[in-house]
Amino acid sequence: MARITAGIACSHIPVLGYAADQGKADEPPFKLAFDGFEWTRKWIAEEGRPDVVILVYNDHASAFDMNMIPTFAIGCAERFGIADEGFGPRPVPDVIGHPDLAWHIAQSLILDEFDMTIMNDMAVDHGLTVPLTMMFGAGVEAWPVRVVPLAVNVVTYPPPSGNRCWLLGEAIARAVASFDEDLKVHVWGTGGMSHQLQGPRAGLINRQWDNDFLDRLIGDTQALRHVQHIEYLREAGSEGIELVMWLIMRGALGRETRALHRHYHVPVSNSALGHLVLDPVDPTVPPSPTLEGNNEAAQAAIR
Amino acid sequence: MSGPRDIHSYLAEFEDIPGTRVYTAKRARAGYHLNQFAMSLMKAENRERFKADERGYLDEWPMSEAQKQAVLDRDYNRLLDLGGNIYFLAKVFSTDGLSFVEAVSTMTGMSVEAYQAMMQAGGRSPEGQRSKKEGR
Repeated sequence: MARITAGIACSHIPVLGYAADQGKADEPPFKLAFDGFEWTRKWIAEEGRPDVVILVYNDHASAFDMNMIPTFAIGCAERFGIADEGFGPRPVPDVIGHPDLAWHIAQSLILDEFDMTIMNDMAVDHGLTVPLTMMFGAGVEAWPVRVVPLAVNVVTYPPPSGNRCWLLGEAIARAVASFDEDLKVHVWGTGGMSHQLQGPRAGLINRQWDNDFLDRLIGDTQALRHVQHIEYLREAGSEGIELVMWLIMRGALGRETRALHRHYHVPVSNSALGHLVLDPVDPTVPPSPTLEGNNEAAQAAIR
Repeated sequence: MSGPRDIHSYLAEFEDIPGTRVYTAKRARAGYHLNQFAMSLMKAENRERFKADERGYLDEWPMSEAQKQAVLDRDYNRLLDLGGNIYFLAKVFSTDGLSFVEAVSTMTGMSVEAYQAMMQAGGRSPEGQRSKKEGR
């Protein structure tokens, strides 16, 4: 049986991909940002390496334009090319998918009443490739894991609510647990932390709020389910809304987590960088109210 | 369980945030062609055509005159007002060879140097930047 062995939260700041590609990760001003990932790279090399990463990210007008805005999209292809974001594609390897697991998750989620968009031919941008670089380092010839990309709309309002993201995470945990192959799976939530890239308020950073957010991903609190979009906007800036994607990761880890590693650094270009490695100490998630539970309330509603 | 129960108050609250244009459906609708024009600059041949004749390239798109003029002026706050989204507008400033920091600073009324210095010092404080009504 497949099982979720860890969750990772990581900002996906484009300039860090650029710095890694240019061999500047050891130079100021980037060094302090990269140093906080040393622990994680060592842990992954020694014991934490998964077979597959379900990588939750958002596309930044690369694969999706205004013609097509899926709230939740899952990549089911064999491989995903690297998007050209205006400066040529990053010089990193293509991302290799896990179509069997991805299609299984897609089916399971749809039966669980998450109506996913299924993607095959999809280029992936810095939202997905920068976290891979942070965790596996620069200059890799091939990524050492397979990846199931899960793209979330956090650009056009409304994005999904934090609670909906948490519930999706729980449904992903059920989907993984019902996959009949012995796989170690990570769920990564990316984006954030506080940043605003537009308007006169651009440059907003909220160290206190960010750290409270990190605190609330640890342990058994579910308080983040109830944080509303307006709070992200006011406290973490207009692009801080990306943090709802971290709640998909958190929801997938179940009832209680323990922090194995934590890193926070300000600033990286326009953004606050946050990174957490979480161990699911109690991975229990509620049964599906539909597919598995087949409960009385659901039956009453469809009678 | 979570989320406001009323779509009108949900949307109205966005207008209370200082110096911020939330990319609502209303803006997305107004800015559809503007953003798709910007997206077209992902292709090198389109960037060349745009750079050779900006006005002529813009006239191929069913955008408002105000949107076209704001692109020509590189007035990014105005473009946000007219339905532009920053990730799409990034295609325009990337075509100009500007980084996010360089382009974003033009929206703040600060010089690039002053904006960078603010970021190096930890960024813009949220104090007084959360709510127009409440002044917090």
